[in-house]
Amino acid sequence: MSGKRHKKGLWLDPRAKLFLILICVLSSMFAPSLAYQFVLVMLIAILGAFFGKWKYVIKAVCFYAVICVLTVWIMAEMTGTLRTMFIAFLGLFHKVYACGTLAGIVLTTTKVNEFLSAMNRVHAPKKLVIPMAVMLRYIPTIQEDWRYIKDAMRMRDVSPSLAGFLAHPGMTVECIYVPLLMAASKAADDLSVASVTRGIENPNPRTCLVQIKCGVADWGVMAVAVAYLIFELCVRGGVIG
Amino acid sequence: MIEFENVSFSYTGQEHGGLHDINLKISDGECVLFCGRSGCGKTTITRLVNGLIPQFYQGELHGRVLVDGQEISNIPMYQIAAKVGSVFQNPRTQFFNVDTDSEIAFGIENEARPPQELIERVEQTADDLRIQKLRNRNIFELSGGEKQKIAFASVYAMNPQIYLLDEPSSNLDMTSIQELREHLRLIKKQGKTVLIAEHRLYYLMELADRIVYLEKGEIKGIYTPEEFRQLSEQERERMGLRAVDLRAVFPPKPHSIAPIPVLELRNVTLRYKKRTILHDIGLSAGKGEVIGVVGHNGAGKTTFSRALCGLHKDCDGQFLWESKPIERKERLQRSYMVMQDVNYELFADSVEAECSFGIRNPDQTLVNATLEELGLSPYREQHPNTLSGGQKQRVAVAVSMICGKDLLVFDEPTSGLDFDSMTQVAGLIRRLSNMGKVIFIVTHDFEFVCRTCSRVLHFDEGEMPDDVPVTMDALPKLRELFSVSDGKER
Repeated sequence: MSGKRHKKGLWLDPRAKLFLILICVLSSMFAPSLAYQFVLVMLIAILGAFFGKWKYVIKAVCFYAVICVLTVWIMAEMTGTLRTMFIAFLGLFHKVYACGTLAGIVLTTTKVNEFLSAMNRVHAPKKLVIPMAVMLRYIPTIQEDWRYIKDAMRMRDVSPSLAGFLAHPGMTVECIYVPLLMAASKAADDLSVASVTRGIENPNPRTCLVQIKCGVADWGVMAVAVAYLIFELCVRGGVIG
Repeated sequence: MIEFENVSFSYTGQEHGGLHDINLKISDGECVLFCGRSGCGKTTITRLVNGLIPQFYQGELHGRVLVDGQEISNIPMYQIAAKVGSVFQNPRTQFFNVDTDSEIAFGIENEARPPQELIERVEQTADDLRIQKLRNRNIFELSGGEKQKIAFASVYAMNPQIYLLDEPSSNLDMTSIQELREHLRLIKKQGKTVLIAEHRLYYLMELADRIVYLEKGEIKGIYTPEEFRQLSEQERERMGLRAVDLRAVFPPKPHSIAPIPVLELRNVTLRYKKRTILHDIGLSAGKGEVIGVVGHNGAGKTTFSRALCGLHKDCDGQFLWESKPIERKERLQRSYMVMQDVNYELFADSVEAECSFGIRNPDQTLVNATLEELGLSPYREQHPNTLSGGQKQRVAVAVSMICGKDLLVFDEPTSGLDFDSMTQVAGLIRRLSNMGKVIFIVTHDFEFVCRTCSRVLHFDEGEMPDDVPVTMDALPKLRELFSVSDGKER
């Protein structure tokens, strides 16, 4: 029964994915140095590659590499307030980047119904789960909206690029958020109506077409994640190196 | 059995769409069509049956709506859902899942049916509705018609006794409408009760048992399809209704002299993601010409319109304007697309501000004159979002006029419009044509094409096999393009 859904790449249980995010946050927090942080991003990239998200992964790693080089350069070259400012900013950036990358992979590879039934299994409250599911469903809609909005902006001679944003920040922001907001409020209403009229509020535990199951892959990935965290902690504690 | 007993309803803070003193009985297995102008209350009727009123939309409700003797407002939504299935207008935002199989199963998953039954039901549904080829697909890759089929399938899988459809054909092409009709025929044969609120009437004439005409929230007439067909064209248009039979819709008298060509396309080839979408297209268009663009979903209509407007990059061949080559950037300057969902192109906080948005030194007299001309002056201080769909469309057109655009592309300008609004859009387009603009209209609406277009381009399988004038002589070909059948069923 699992054959069909593996269109490309790996499939993981949503619970395993949530666990990965948790471990990723901890690993990021306890990373002893920039090198470990970079390895973490690389590990996530490998995971992403297994999911078949090559483009995303390559972009993410390249961007991170640039930031790392920049960080090293700033640490070596700059002094004074500017240095403090950059270090504060980059410090935060490094802590968040790995988690953000992983979250991106998780969001794009998790189906809403898998997520719903996984949350059902761990007995998460519906009040929490339904809004999260709507959010998960809404993200691809934004991508679609964005395409139309870009076209509309070009026809009005507003450039939907970084350069355009720097030249006319106010106008560019307005062009993006006004239609997006309008589309969002309508989509949210329609989505709620469509789910309510198909009985999402049923208090009985819902079933799922796709049977979610923690398999070898899930345990394997989780083991790697935990191992890396422990390794980091050991380095920190001075057990190794 | 569905019973409305002295039902009146008005939405909180809204004038339109309310109902006054509705009394109606619908027996099991009946198919009832509700029609009337926009805002006549036909959607409100469906919302009263599926419980969205009063549980989702607030307002003042009097009287009772009973389904099988039970009052709807006393039953929780999820129990109504098992009995009443609803399909809505916009296929884009009816989905909760990202893949088709899960979406078909969504309702029955909520009903907590055991996994084995889920698989069987999905299988059965796909077989019954003949949508096996849509299974296990990403919903975002489907066309509007295919999405609508999945939405229908999801409701079908729940096997409700009553089906409600709220303008289900608004975003569908001709073929999809025919397929929708087949699906409706199927559920009718199964003895289901079907309630449809619709502007497009022609495809329902053989299915409906009764036709309820609403005006300003009141039932103004109940017809059988035979009686309904007897209505004269004038009578029907006075009621604000679209054509009942497309075979009775004809192109106008031949147009005057051929216009002087101003736009020319030579050997234009369009690609999207390295795939050739349209190959070797050549055509010329004159000032004031109105050209319809038809073809199945995915035939390249969108890519073609985007390329015309200079929004699509990956294209070869030549575009000429007044015999001079015109590059992409320049086309972008000259052209404007009025999108199907106009909300994407309205950015400002008032109609007036919208008209001068992004223009460095807006010409105030031109803005005023344009607003006056399009009848938008009374709304100049209003937020564009508070306007009706047709008014928003006119704001977008006003913008294009103020920016001095010569080439206009309309994407499905009449989807979900009643007769009055459709004639208004037709009038607007005629006016633009008189100003000498070149106008392209992507549409599936035969009635509208006959009212506005001088010729029709047909895209199919990456080519443009037909360029047909909209005249009586070309009627058989036009009927073929718009799948206006001669009554025969497939």
